[in-house]
Amino acid sequence: MPVDQDSNQRKKLTGDSNQEQQPAVTEEPMPDDAKKRVLDTITQLGQTNVPQLESNIYCLSIIGQVEGHIQLPPQNKTTKYEHLIPQLVAAEQNSKIEGVLVLLNTVGGDVEAGLAIAEMVASLTKPVVTLVLGGGHSIGVPIAVSGDYSFIAETATMTIHPIRLTGLVIGVPQTFEYLDKMQDRVVHFIARHSKITEEQFKDLMLRTGELTRDIGTNVIGADAVKYGLIDEVGGLGKALKKLNELIEKARNEERIVQ
Amino acid sequence: MIMYTTMPLELVFENMDQTEKQSIREISMGAGVTMLVEPISSSEGKIVRLISPNPQDYLNPRYAPGQTISFQPEFN
Repeated sequence: MPVDQDSNQRKKLTGDSNQEQQPAVTEEPMPDDAKKRVLDTITQLGQTNVPQLESNIYCLSIIGQVEGHIQLPPQNKTTKYEHLIPQLVAAEQNSKIEGVLVLLNTVGGDVEAGLAIAEMVASLTKPVVTLVLGGGHSIGVPIAVSGDYSFIAETATMTIHPIRLTGLVIGVPQTFEYLDKMQDRVVHFIARHSKITEEQFKDLMLRTGELTRDIGTNVIGADAVKYGLIDEVGGLGKALKKLNELIEKARNEERIVQ
Repeated sequence: MIMYTTMPLELVFENMDQTEKQSIREISMGAGVTMLVEPISSSEGKIVRLISPNPQDYLNPRYAPGQTISFQPEFN
């Protein structure tokens, strides 16, 4: 009996949808302990037979540091580039996925990895709604504006400040140029994907007297909307409602095309 | 690599020499589910963090952080 179950499980692995797997679980009731055993043994390759609801929404959470080429020490909570990028490709390709919800609570991180994620999100053909909870600082800002519609929680903040470089500098003018270009990439992206102008953003970024350790501004909830950086103040309910609206709109457009 | 963050860099890079000593293992379960586990033995671990784009996975009590999970080591 246990051998049969194992091969059964393997067969199910080759099936391509969860919907196909669900009837198999309900049709042949197994003795309780055998069922428990199957569920308890989750192999690295296998899947559980727990019946699951399929969601048409892909949920990407970006928390802690955005990690790029260097693995950060263990005290950092990180969001890894190699986790997110394939997920986004899968979301774009999977026909069952109709919308993407990006949840942000990040302190920033690697510029290149952050911009890569932002560009990927911006180029998805499916509706994307972003929601900033807690904080969406530094490189979190371009990610926060990369969706089709953005929300910020009333208490959430976004720190807008310049990119910094620490360490040994060889060739000051070149380094300055390089850093300036790096900064421009971020500013251009934000200006292109939100209602804020480059001048306004730079004004916020270079303000003095508002942050203790840096120049720049901390914009909170409604302020981010006032500057045009974010579309609306709201939480999860509003974000999901908007995403469902956008999904519905996309479905209707598809119907017209057909 | 340039870090653009509000966290002081000395905090971010503290214990950089210990990065290799991380005991947390990353296992993938198929169907987009990845989890970070703290190994208990060579085939068992305690779930520390679940990484999945499917929000329904977070409702599955078997994937909840703190649960023990068995897995088979894969030899490539």
